[in-house]
Amino acid sequence: MAETFAVLGLFDHADALLAAIGKVKSQDLGGPARLEAYTPYPVHGLDRALGLRRSPLAGMVMVMGILGALFAMVMQYWMSAVDYPIVTGGKDPTSWQAFIPIMFELMVLFATFTAGLGMLLLLNRLPLFGHPVLGSRAIRSITRDRFALAVEAEGSGFDPRAAQAALEAAGAREIEWLPAPDTGPFLTAVTIQRSLAGIAAACVVAGVLTWGGVKLMPVLRPMVHMEDQPRLSAQQPSRFFPDGSGMRMPVPGTVARGYLPPPFKTPEQAAGLVNPLPRTREVLDRGRAEYQVRCAVCHGALGDGTPTLTAAYGAKPANLVAPNIRAYADGQIYGTIVLGKNAMPAYAADLPEDARWAVVHYVRALQRAQNAKDEDLP
Amino acid sequence: MKAERTGTVGTVLWGATLLGAALAALSYVQAGPARFWANWLVWFLFLLSVALGALFLVAVEHLTASRWSVPLRRISERIATLLLPLAAVALVALGAVPVLYPGARPEAAADPLLAGKAVWLGLPFFALRVVLCAGLGILAVAVLVRGSLRQDRDRDPAFTRRARRFAPVAMAIFALLVTQAGFDWISGLAPAWYSDVIGVYLFAGAFMAGLAATALALLALRARGRLTAIRPDHTYSIGGYLFAFTVFWAYIAFAQYLLMWYGNLPDEVVWYQARTLGAWRPVVLLLALVHFFVPFFALVPRDAKGDLRRLAWVAPVVLVAHWLDLYWLVFPALGPAPRWSWPELGFALLFLGGALLWLRAAMARGEDMPVGDPFLGEGLEFRL
Repeated sequence: MAETFAVLGLFDHADALLAAIGKVKSQDLGGPARLEAYTPYPVHGLDRALGLRRSPLAGMVMVMGILGALFAMVMQYWMSAVDYPIVTGGKDPTSWQAFIPIMFELMVLFATFTAGLGMLLLLNRLPLFGHPVLGSRAIRSITRDRFALAVEAEGSGFDPRAAQAALEAAGAREIEWLPAPDTGPFLTAVTIQRSLAGIAAACVVAGVLTWGGVKLMPVLRPMVHMEDQPRLSAQQPSRFFPDGSGMRMPVPGTVARGYLPPPFKTPEQAAGLVNPLPRTREVLDRGRAEYQVRCAVCHGALGDGTPTLTAAYGAKPANLVAPNIRAYADGQIYGTIVLGKNAMPAYAADLPEDARWAVVHYVRALQRAQNAKDEDLP
Repeated sequence: MKAERTGTVGTVLWGATLLGAALAALSYVQAGPARFWANWLVWFLFLLSVALGALFLVAVEHLTASRWSVPLRRISERIATLLLPLAAVALVALGAVPVLYPGARPEAAADPLLAGKAVWLGLPFFALRVVLCAGLGILAVAVLVRGSLRQDRDRDPAFTRRARRFAPVAMAIFALLVTQAGFDWISGLAPAWYSDVIGVYLFAGAFMAGLAATALALLALRARGRLTAIRPDHTYSIGGYLFAFTVFWAYIAFAQYLLMWYGNLPDEVVWYQARTLGAWRPVVLLLALVHFFVPFFALVPRDAKGDLRRLAWVAPVVLVAHWLDLYWLVFPALGPAPRWSWPELGFALLFLGGALLWLRAAMARGEDMPVGDPFLGEGLEFRL
């Protein structure tokens, strides 16, 4: 006869089950065994009756919930007050009020994940493939309307007949013996082969479906709210304003902040201006960064007017390191940046005041680099 | 021996009430009418919350046909009868309207914002709303409580059916009364301030107060050897409700604060400016502690919710916290500093003593459980 895993006794009512636990406990169970109950819904008081230890899950959930809230607080404080402080709505970046919703969310997230995963993986002895009770005849009624008390064998020397007698004495309506589960190795070669084949098949199916989907629906737009919103582009008419124009003129007598017109009409008139920035490492680094973004595409990384774009574009950008430009005053280079020259557009809108002067410093540095003197050598 | 002790308690309660009444009357002369009416308002709203919370519990039980709560229902019904004397207290509280409510004062005519709402904020329509709400409260008590008491005698299950039909109406009455209390009695103190959620805020606090009062009354009766059939299976849901509404109250309170703090609109922040800055800051921090953190952590373990020894100290904390909540809502109307002194003590003696005398008389009459309810047996056998 096969080894017995457990003897199941079935009861019709939760109260009968609870009453039976005490009776069975006081009897001889026929060797090393422990009691377990299987019920269609949670029965309050069952844990106490079975003498189960207090679940540590509640404490784990509490600790992880508090940790989640603290983590969210530290994370938000660091992000919004230390790493990248931005004043929003006139609020101090350290305002704790704004952190509370995220703290609450992360507290709930940590707590629920701890509850779910801790229950499934740590405390419920999962993963378990096929609990023996699932294979019993009684499982249909256990999941519906009956309550099972199981005397489960622990080690060898368990006598199912004694357990059956104890359950019957406690008033069990029906008895079922469960054979021990198959304890063969789970990861056999066949299992691994089948798993790999299944994964490969799933990949092929997913690939074919994706390919076909993209072929059939090439312009599937998942979210179009921003694209389709009512809006006015530049130069479009508008019926909202009395003059029918969608664009607005500035208020007479005002200048937009940062758009003060320059006090010169040609670069030459700006020659008298003095570069207000010191020639420091920081200023030259800033000038190089701005130059490489705005200027290098035409004037070249070295400032010699020979970038890769020139041939395709057809223009002839100035060689900034040539003698005629080297003879420019700082203010003249600055004026050229502000107003533009020949095919070069004005860069006043793209470069703020201090960036223009930083670029001037950097252009001077490029000129010196291409026309080094002996004393420049270390 | 027992009768002697009962007599002593009654004497002490009467003495406290009369002393409180004397102090309250003195405070009108010594501390001024504004402080008198603010105290009156806080205690009126406190007892109204307790009574409405109990009424809500009774209505919920009928609405959901609960079994677990049938043995406990008579306690909540008796507490809900506080609505009868409170109708008179509400009518007296109308004396506060020309004193504390800017919308009903003569200066309101000069303020364009208040002048536009003169009809709503003025005393005649205010009084009409109060009378209407008092009448509706008495109606709910008459149907749910008087019917239940009558069922004790005639054992007629028809009342159970009638109560279930009336429960939604009682809910609507409850919603109306709580909203009226929030909009008129509390929000009216700062008529330029808007909050749609003040009624819900008051509801959360009122239900907590009603549950705490029910738990305390249960404990008091058990201490006298009554209601011994109540097991933790019954009280578990009282604790569970209390726990849930602790969280709900905190959620509503913080949601309102967060939105107004973020929006920073002048007509919204005035409320919190007067209530969270300066001398009121410790009060609001204390409120957060006793109205949320203490009950939350006290009730969060599973076994704590049905534990009567735990409820024996959590319920008083909740009641004190709810009183503090109302104090924090009303008293900033008097000025930038909290006032605690003998007038507040006098009013506490007067109203607590009066309410306890009323409840004591109510608890002494009739059965402790609705013995005519056909589901009482199932309720007594209820198991979680």
